Amino acid sequence: MSEENKGPGKTIIGLECHVQLDTKSKLFCGCPTTAEEPNSACCEICLGFPGSKPVLNRKALDYALRVALALNCEINREFFFSRKTYFYPDMSKNFQITQYEIPVGKGGHIILSSGKKIRIDRVHIEEDPAALVHSEGLDASRYTKVDYNRSGIPLIEVVTAPDLSSPQEARDFLDQLTTVLHYLGVFDLQNGTLKVDSNLSIEGNERAEVKNITGKRSVEKALAYEEVRQKGLVKKGVHMKRETRAFNEQTSTTRSMRSKESEADYGYIFDPDLPTFELSDSHLEEIRGNLPELHGIKAERFMKQYAIDEYTAQVLSANPVLGDLFEDVSKKVDARFAAKFLSRELLAIINYNNLSLATAGLDPAEISALLEMLLKGEVSERNAKQALIKYALEKIPPAKYIEEQGLKKDLDTDQIEDAVDVVLKEQEKAVADFKAGGQKALNFLVGQVMRKTKGKVEAREIQSILEKKLGA
Amino acid sequence: MVSSIAEFVKQVRMEKMDVLEHTAQIFDEIESNSELNHFNVVAKEQAMQQANEIAAGIKIGRHEGKLLGVPISVKDCVCVKGMESRAGSKILSGYKPTFNATVIEKVLVEGAIIIGKTAQDEFGFGTFGTNANIGFEAPKNPLDQDRACGGSSAGSAGFTALTKFTHASIAQSTGGSIASPASFCGVAGFTPTYGLVSRYGLIDYGNSLDKIGTIGKTVEDASLLLGIISGHDPQDSTSLEERFEEKGEAKKIGIVKELFEKSDDKVSKECKKALGKLEAKGFELKEISLPLNSEYGIAAYYLISMTEASTNLARFCGMRYGLHKELEGHFDEYFSSVRSDGFGTEAKRRVLLGTFARMSGFRDAYYLRAMKTRTKLINEFKNAFKEVDVLAHPTMPVIAPKFSEIEKLTPMQNYAMDLCTVPANLAGLPHISVRAGEVNKMPVGLMLTAGHLRENILSSIALEVEGAQ
Repeated sequence: MSEENKGPGKTIIGLECHVQLDTKSKLFCGCPTTAEEPNSACCEICLGFPGSKPVLNRKALDYALRVALALNCEINREFFFSRKTYFYPDMSKNFQITQYEIPVGKGGHIILSSGKKIRIDRVHIEEDPAALVHSEGLDASRYTKVDYNRSGIPLIEVVTAPDLSSPQEARDFLDQLTTVLHYLGVFDLQNGTLKVDSNLSIEGNERAEVKNITGKRSVEKALAYEEVRQKGLVKKGVHMKRETRAFNEQTSTTRSMRSKESEADYGYIFDPDLPTFELSDSHLEEIRGNLPELHGIKAERFMKQYAIDEYTAQVLSANPVLGDLFEDVSKKVDARFAAKFLSRELLAIINYNNLSLATAGLDPAEISALLEMLLKGEVSERNAKQALIKYALEKIPPAKYIEEQGLKKDLDTDQIEDAVDVVLKEQEKAVADFKAGGQKALNFLVGQVMRKTKGKVEAREIQSILEKKLGA
Repeated sequence: MVSSIAEFVKQVRMEKMDVLEHTAQIFDEIESNSELNHFNVVAKEQAMQQANEIAAGIKIGRHEGKLLGVPISVKDCVCVKGMESRAGSKILSGYKPTFNATVIEKVLVEGAIIIGKTAQDEFGFGTFGTNANIGFEAPKNPLDQDRACGGSSAGSAGFTALTKFTHASIAQSTGGSIASPASFCGVAGFTPTYGLVSRYGLIDYGNSLDKIGTIGKTVEDASLLLGIISGHDPQDSTSLEERFEEKGEAKKIGIVKELFEKSDDKVSKECKKALGKLEAKGFELKEISLPLNSEYGIAAYYLISMTEASTNLARFCGMRYGLHKELEGHFDEYFSSVRSDGFGTEAKRRVLLGTFARMSGFRDAYYLRAMKTRTKLINEFKNAFKEVDVLAHPTMPVIAPKFSEIEKLTPMQNYAMDLCTVPANLAGLPHISVRAGEVNKMPVGLMLTAGHLRENILSSIALEVEGAQ
């Protein structure tokens, strides 16, 4: 936020992040975590029918342990579950099975891209409630439908200390967190949901909690709104009260739901249907041993090992697939050249076309071959990019595409100069414009020569010939 | 003389006992005694169909099954697929489970015939069977219809005492709900080690205390049925991997001083007489004191069980199954309205008290303190079992009370009646109630408690007590 917001006092932010773990089956029953039809993936357990009992999915516990370890947490060796009781139509039992006294992990941290350390208070496991569906929007729908497919999907909750000092830092924190989760293979970046309860206060005042915000961008927006709102009130001398607020996606604003005094008391008890689970040394070490190299460490290694700059190293290590691709390609091609090309050109194509690196199926050998041609001057940058787009979208190997389309640079200097001469003759007006000082006209002429040469020649080479011939 | 289950099955296999006729007769008996209110569901049609299938199987030589053709009644709180299972509560009206409890699967595999769901205090909340919800009537003791059966497995014990046919019942105990009615009706009630029998399919009262067990006319029948329903079940996370000990020797019996002192003199005397007969047979008797359990058992038990119950009962809100109404207003109002109509007085009392005990500000003083107390009470038992093999005391401090007497009890006086049964239940220890004598022509039960998984020594001593009658 800008200078004007720094008046009343520092902004203090803490987050509670709920992330769906990407397990095959639910936390306490064998139902699948993915299903097309509403209410098609549920059984007596996730529907909370009387007589049914939960059985812990050990895979979910292992996933949570990976997260806690990756977030540098101290790991508890004995876990039990608790019942958080409150009445709500999305709760099949009107209590949620969660961890209260003893979480899986506590006392960890995440390092932001600025190098700032954000403390993590705890990481615990709990079950997701059912989804409430309003087919025609919250206000217009006459009925609320309940979809129990979501009921019982494993969630981890990551709770930070109030160490964040701006909405931008909060966003950076969430980026770092989701990157770690993606690296661990426990979170689906594209389909997995991230829900956040955010607490913001202005130093010396009570805080407001904005509940249940979906997605990183919305969290940043909600916090930005809260920061301005609260600073405005503090400036006016308004006494802030603790309250719970809701975020409106459409207007990017928040509104009060209830004051903290009327907050539910969840009356936690130990869940007597689930025994205490003990974590053995060998199992913990096995999980620790299987942790991948995380992005922060990988970025540092990339900088040292490949002599690339910090920003590029961070971009390449933010996605494990991209990092692996880079390292494979670097075995054949100059690493710094590969780093630049992959972090700029490839990522731009992937993002622009809404593709996923994980599913794009890019073969490092094909990319290496393309980069080798580019380095040897056998193909222009423009045509190399074109070939890469075709590869990413249509799986046509780039070398084959260049060959078939006749895009190899097979012109000698004389042939290029001939093409330039033809254009200069054809475009008398542009030549005149250029001579009168029109820089735009030069770009136009470069474009015309490129068209004549099928983009085989680099623009800067054409430009220097043109400038020479026009005596610029 | 009614044949034991083992004898009955032998007769069935030899085709000397007609399963169809036996089943039809037991339903005639149930119908002609319907005013005793032992059953919440009489599953005649379903049972006769099962009997037909079994009879047809016998003719083609299908003789397997330790319960071949044996009528088994099931406490209402144990889920039977497709059979209305209400745990004695109006709020579960119309709830037909989509699955069988594990114990039901186990008895069906052995050829049992499920004859119906037996009456109980609503959700097991009672000592006499009289906390029957709206639409249910309190079960009557077949030995004196002015008196209660005991509870909460009232119908299971009442009908076991009444029937002139071979039969046993699947019952359930949280704080004494098998032993109490067994004692008042003069039958054998076997409550296993916590975790020995799967709770999958049991409509919960207090999950850390709930145990499915058995009631039989004799110790032999109750033990046989318990053997069948016990065993590890991966669907119940608290189910034990171990089975009970195959053999065990028991010589020393501990007489629990405080529980004899606090029971009615005549009841205590009958129990002492039965123990005297055991001494004559070579058992060694030793007085044991359990001061902590006698003093704090009731308080710890009611706090823990009500706290757990208040969360278990949260799910009943008229949204997914059971009692429901026209949807109107805010969901909070709708839930409250269904719960106000669906729960009886005692259920409401326990939800309120149980919720209070776990609220922040009170949680440490009540719920957590009760949990800590429980550990101390268990340790007291552990020390006692260093000195003796089995503990003995009256199951109930009185004989079956009259309905008119129960009406006069305050809730606290009512809860105090569980004094003798609560300690073993809190500690998850196996115990059996066996008929040991009578006072005013009403039976007196002797309760025997052993260490975890020592069910076998309980059977053998209880057989001795029964044989000496």
